[in-house]
Amino acid sequence: MDSMTPGDAQLDTTIEIVTPENIAFRYQVAGPFRRLPAFLLDVALQTLIWWAGGGLLAMLFGAVGLAGLGFGFWLILWFVLSWFYGGLFETYCNGQTPGKRMMRIRVIASDGQPINGLQAVLRNLLRAIDGQPLFTYQLGLFSAMMNDRFQRLGDLASGTMVVVDERERFRGILQIDEPEVLRLARQIPATFQAAPSLARTLAAYAERRLGLPVPRRIEIARHLADPLARRFGLPADTSPDHLLCAAYQRTFVADDPARWQSSGVPLTPSAALVAEPAARAAGHSPFVSQPPAAG
Amino acid sequence: MRVSDLLQSRQKNWGELESLCVRLETWKGLRRDPAGATRFAALYRSLCADLALAEAYQLPPETVRYLHRLVGRAHNQLYRSRQFTISAWTRSLLVDVPRRLFGDNCLRLAFCIFWGAFLVAALLAARQPGFTEQLLGKEMIQQMEEMYATPIRALDPAGRGLMLGFYVFNNAGIGLRCFAFGLVFGVGGVLVTVYNATQLGAVFGHMSTVGQWGNFSEFVTAHGPFELTAIVLSAAAGMRMGFALVDTGGLRRIAALERAAGEAMPVACAAVLLFVLAALIEAFISPSPLPYGVKAGVAVLSAALLMLYFVGLGMPRGD
Repeated sequence: MDSMTPGDAQLDTTIEIVTPENIAFRYQVAGPFRRLPAFLLDVALQTLIWWAGGGLLAMLFGAVGLAGLGFGFWLILWFVLSWFYGGLFETYCNGQTPGKRMMRIRVIASDGQPINGLQAVLRNLLRAIDGQPLFTYQLGLFSAMMNDRFQRLGDLASGTMVVVDERERFRGILQIDEPEVLRLARQIPATFQAAPSLARTLAAYAERRLGLPVPRRIEIARHLADPLARRFGLPADTSPDHLLCAAYQRTFVADDPARWQSSGVPLTPSAALVAEPAARAAGHSPFVSQPPAAG
Repeated sequence: MRVSDLLQSRQKNWGELESLCVRLETWKGLRRDPAGATRFAALYRSLCADLALAEAYQLPPETVRYLHRLVGRAHNQLYRSRQFTISAWTRSLLVDVPRRLFGDNCLRLAFCIFWGAFLVAALLAARQPGFTEQLLGKEMIQQMEEMYATPIRALDPAGRGLMLGFYVFNNAGIGLRCFAFGLVFGVGGVLVTVYNATQLGAVFGHMSTVGQWGNFSEFVTAHGPFELTAIVLSAAAGMRMGFALVDTGGLRRIAALERAAGEAMPVACAAVLLFVLAALIEAFISPSPLPYGVKAGVAVLSAALLMLYFVGLGMPRGD
């Protein structure tokens, strides 16, 4: 487990995991509002399986006149479902019960490794104590609030945590094709090179501006846009919002104004401009010549 | 090279990795497609390199977030949960658990608490009029007395299958709850153990004073050894977790708990197995019209098996 010293205390629910490939990537820990629906879905499914199994057993054993044994197996089925449902699913479905799969969360060990059968069974047996008092899960909730990975007692004892396992399709790079932005982008001097921190700021702004009303955008953008406008020799009444977008466009999308000037329609850099080393097809990164450094 | 060009060149690989992930996330995975699996590994490594260099290449935050998600997703498919292997569990149950239990102070403590409370409650119930009534309530006593009023030979065999299920569900459930409650600094486990022991003791003590003793003792003989041992075992497993929180052995509390829980879980599983064995005997042998000698023989045999397990397999050896 990582140390929880005040020095590396976090403000949000992101945790970092270092893989054997020597790369650190980030996970989001799943909070109670994702885990509760998953739990309820699982309870519903357990009940469904129990009743369906009961019907099946009644038919099978009732037909041969052993209704009593059928009932007995029904109770055993309930025992297995109530104690080992989660453990078995999490072992065989890579840390996910059907409910967790639907809510896109997954159980992993707290060092980022996959969980093993022992951990999966243990964390689900200890639901009995987490659910106290009276299946209201107050104890589990309390324990989850006390640590930075939302671990209930069962998670703490088995060394596991629940993380968000969101899928996301790559939507490509954000492109801004407002004509005013494109016009401004052409006016930015060709020598303009954004430093890393400026580039980060521009990207963060471009990604979020659509969620803001125009006056607010101007208010935020002015602090950076005004000095930039002076540097580029643009008129003082240039829209700060558009100017930052233009700088973003120049930094991230294309540095050669001619490419979208001539075509008129913006912004699909032609594949011919991209060198295609054979190594890339084999899956090697084209821009790594030395082993990747730890992130 | 501008970021958009870079992305353009990488996007194909990322998309391919995404679709391989989708296939891996299904039940069948890539079991029939070794070429796909190899390709997946190569793409994953290259994705890791991309993420490592994301900073250097000034990728926009949204793309970096996407890369983190995709690496996490692929990581989960590449390193999958390890499943149960029968050999590992057999070894754990037949070698590790008995050896660990042989010198386990928690087991000794659970044993003393259980049998101490049991004997005290039994003595009080037998000698002190009114004790049982206070502890169990009038209704339950009446129920018990009615239940054992019919001689065992006259029991209806049709109910046995149902009782098998009930015994597994109820008794193993009690055992597992006892295990889980042990987590509360061991106190929870002690409380549950004392509660179970006094209830059982009071029932035994009370029944010995009434006319149904014959039926009762004939019924409980055969499955007694397995069932009572299983209760003590699950209590001991719970206490092992709980006491690790108190006496951490120099580790952080959470780490001590993690280690103790990993050791205690197989013990709880052994207890469940014992509960199931006990339920089988309780459902099919105890209520059967077999002569008492056979039932006593089953009890002696199961006690001998338990001795073999705890002492024979548990005795510390040179290796």
